[in-house]
Amino acid sequence: MKAVIVKDVLEAKKIKDKVDTFLLPIKDFSINYHNTFTLEEVKEVLKLEKEVFLIVNKNIFNSELKTLENLLLEIEKLKVKGIFFYDIAVLTLKNKLNLKTDLVWSQEHLVTNYETINYWYKKGVKYAYLSSELTEEEINKISENTKAILFVNVFGYQPMFTSRRHLVNNYLKYFKLKDKSKLKKISKEGKEYPILDTKDGTTVYSNYILNAPLENLKVKYLVYNSYLVSDICKVLEDNNYPVEKGFLDKETIYRVKKK
Amino acid sequence: MKKPELLAPAGDFERLKIAFFYGADAVYIGSSFNLRANADNFTLEEIKKGVDYAHKIKKKVYVTVNIALHNIEALQIEEYLINLDKIGVDAIIVSDPFILNLAKEKTKLEVHISTQASTLNKEAVNYWQKEGATRVVLARECSKEDIKDIKANTKAEIEVFIHGAMCASFSGRCVLSNYLTGRDSNRGGCSQICRWNFDLLEDGKILQGEKPFTFCTKDLSLASYIPDLMEIGVDSLKIEGRMRSSYYIATVIKVYRKIIDEYYHNKENYEYNLKDVEILRRCANRDNTPQFFNGVFDESVQYYNGRVEMTNQDFLGLVLDYNEKTSLAKIEQRNYFKKGDEVEIFGPLTSVKFRVEEIYDEDFNLIQIVRHPKQIVYLKVPTKVAANFMLKKA
Repeated sequence: MKAVIVKDVLEAKKIKDKVDTFLLPIKDFSINYHNTFTLEEVKEVLKLEKEVFLIVNKNIFNSELKTLENLLLEIEKLKVKGIFFYDIAVLTLKNKLNLKTDLVWSQEHLVTNYETINYWYKKGVKYAYLSSELTEEEINKISENTKAILFVNVFGYQPMFTSRRHLVNNYLKYFKLKDKSKLKKISKEGKEYPILDTKDGTTVYSNYILNAPLENLKVKYLVYNSYLVSDICKVLEDNNYPVEKGFLDKETIYRVKKK
Repeated sequence: MKKPELLAPAGDFERLKIAFFYGADAVYIGSSFNLRANADNFTLEEIKKGVDYAHKIKKKVYVTVNIALHNIEALQIEEYLINLDKIGVDAIIVSDPFILNLAKEKTKLEVHISTQASTLNKEAVNYWQKEGATRVVLARECSKEDIKDIKANTKAEIEVFIHGAMCASFSGRCVLSNYLTGRDSNRGGCSQICRWNFDLLEDGKILQGEKPFTFCTKDLSLASYIPDLMEIGVDSLKIEGRMRSSYYIATVIKVYRKIIDEYYHNKENYEYNLKDVEILRRCANRDNTPQFFNGVFDESVQYYNGRVEMTNQDFLGLVLDYNEKTSLAKIEQRNYFKKGDEVEIFGPLTSVKFRVEEIYDEDFNLIQIVRHPKQIVYLKVPTKVAANFMLKKA
């Protein structure tokens, strides 16, 4: 199924016939997304009569618990399919408040094996959103060994760093530089990486647009992210972007020195 | 008021001994499945040696098992946990709930939740506690108010980082190493991309400050806030740095041991010693700040130094032995020193400055200069010292 993280209600309306599911980052409670949705905007998207999951993927500070609780109560009134969560507080509050909305374990770079996915499944978390840093073999092995329903990124820029700090603004302020536009990039050795400051911190994205071959992926929900992509409609219709497999065929190493 | 545990990093058995000698109550070490794959990690035999040593002197050893498991490691982890249990380690430090669950089912291991789990709120802390963890290491983004409220609302022990390098990201939310160097940061391969310099581009043009753009932050130091943490009732105060030198560990642990003990034993007359700030700054050769503790994370905590960090050359030698009759300390050289230099020799509780007058080589011939790494010499010292004392520039 094609699940798309959209920029706004307008884009959702434009592509509604080409998608199965909308993923909507929620205002004040999601990070790594350029645009977020108010609950009023969520209601607008729900009118399109597609599956809707909400993204509540920020690290929750202690002082935000009450607001989160109120948000979850409001979400419960909407007919959304589920909530992507990063912080465990979402799960504990859901249980405390006896809410019925399903959850998606969405700890970004940490959703990397079927045993931990199955741990959360036993806790009532029916879905998992796999990390983008897995190989195709690992993804399919997970799929074979879990009852959880899986999401995986197949198209778009991939977040690779999230900070609480305002790293761009800090630099501009420190050296008294003028800030003209929101979109910036950092560059190293000829590669350019989009970098975004929001009120919740800074995100750095991959230098490439992931564009994964789909034929061998044994995952129910294939996630497209339209951030910085102006023609997502065309991508869903007739994808002409070059194939970029990311980590699907590239295993990372980590033991450089062995005893 | 409870006296908190002082928890030190130890990259190997020698540093484990140094940490305890200078006043740590417990150390944390790594072996397999930890986030410092490139540190001099312990083998299982070395863990046993460290645990036996620690238990003899009534101290504790925790083992970090805090990687994000991939399928292959998930298959291997059970045997490893059983081995750690047999050895008798005092706790494991994990971020993955599957490991927590497995440890509870298959072993008697005590489990602490790693800062890698980015625990910022009391709901999450209490979740971990109900799942069987006895302690939670809070995320480094917590403020004093957060720590206070969390501690007041949980039965779990609370551990807080008080000193050392900071991740520029939320722990667990950085895979820069994966993308830029092919090394998996959440499985121990972090190549510290956050310390690299980058060009910051806007509309294709470089936004150029006097120094290049970097994510790099100053180090954390809560030296002046230890009384606050003790009043809150924080259970364990943690120093970062399993890849740091024995000199760094000795210096930092000595300072914090002194602060904790002084406040605990005489809080009415306690005064923060500004000399400690300079000692801590100098031994890391980096500036430090309280970071998020005071809710400040603006440009003042960033580190735009535009240079490669060099370790300073303060550490001159490690005392291996001392002869009371001759007043000669047997020393293993770490940096160049010579006759006439002003130096300082220190142990956990003492510190004496003096001028180098008499140096002998291994055959007891008088020499003027100690220039070779790990060279063994005998140095006349004006005070009684012992093995593991350290010689530094005054």
